Amino acid sequence: MTVPTLPIGAEPATIDCETAVRRLYDFLDGRLPAMAYAEVELHLSTCLRCPPHFEFARKLQAALAAERSAGPADDDATARLRERVRTALRRERDME
Amino acid sequence: MELGPAAPLDRREPNTPAAVRGNPTEDDFERLTLPFLGDVARFARSLTRNPASADDLVQETYLQALRGWHTFQAGADPRRWLFAVCHHAFLRTARRDARYVDAPDNDPELDSLAAAVAHSVAQRSGVVDALDRMDLGPAIARALDTLPPHFRGVVVLIDVEGQTYEEAAAVLGVAVGTVRSRLFRGRRLLQDLLFEHARDAGLRPLAPTSSIVSHQ
Repeated sequence: MTVPTLPIGAEPATIDCETAVRRLYDFLDGRLPAMAYAEVELHLSTCLRCPPHFEFARKLQAALAAERSAGPADDDATARLRERVRTALRRERDME
Repeated sequence: MELGPAAPLDRREPNTPAAVRGNPTEDDFERLTLPFLGDVARFARSLTRNPASADDLVQETYLQALRGWHTFQAGADPRRWLFAVCHHAFLRTARRDARYVDAPDNDPELDSLAAAVAHSVAQRSGVVDALDRMDLGPAIARALDTLPPHFRGVVVLIDVEGQTYEEAAAVLGVAVGTVRSRLFRGRRLLQDLLFEHARDAGLRPLAPTSSIVSHQ
């Protein structure tokens, strides 16, 4: 994810907790404009309560990403499935 | 807004080995699609949460793809096209099984806010600490099992498969804004299911809640 950068001289405004957590998922996904992103960063650097919400959401995202590699990498099963699909495709073509 | 399933995709990925020039013929079908069978199988497994159903879905995906091969555009990404066909076939089954839940059309930021509120409550009641002591992988897998199909599809595409909002929108045949609202709702529901799982495991009872986020 690329962190958006503020134009030189631009200062982020102070935001409250509700505004910060409303931006939680957009912030984690890197989809906030530079100023909104910087405002959340500033808030997280001073707020004692909001950072755990962001950390927890980030942890869940990491665990979900790990699901991809945790999936079955069974070459035999894939080969069997490939053969099953090929047979079904042949049957489909024969019916045409 | 639904834009229809398996819309032809026009973004070429130069590094995709199966990207082709010219109109693909029927003879090209297996050559261009079968190399992605493993990816489709993994996606189907993430959607159905059941090995036998996943294999059925993969077979159905390839049969549907063969029947619709004439709609495949030269230069499109076969993998993404297969994902679109697969997701469409999955939702059709989900509707038939009456597990279909439509996505809400609301303010996605409310789901961000609600997720933080739920996290605050879970923190105070000790559920977050309990979850920290658990193996998160199996808990996540169980939560995905029960996530309604529409939300599961988008969470799998973006958070598991690592696709962008725009790529997921092309696969699902919906607008990017719809992807965002389904994703945020899906993440919030997933988090709720995880907390529920931690409580069901008897790790810590949920304390009564009265206040919402009012930090500053």
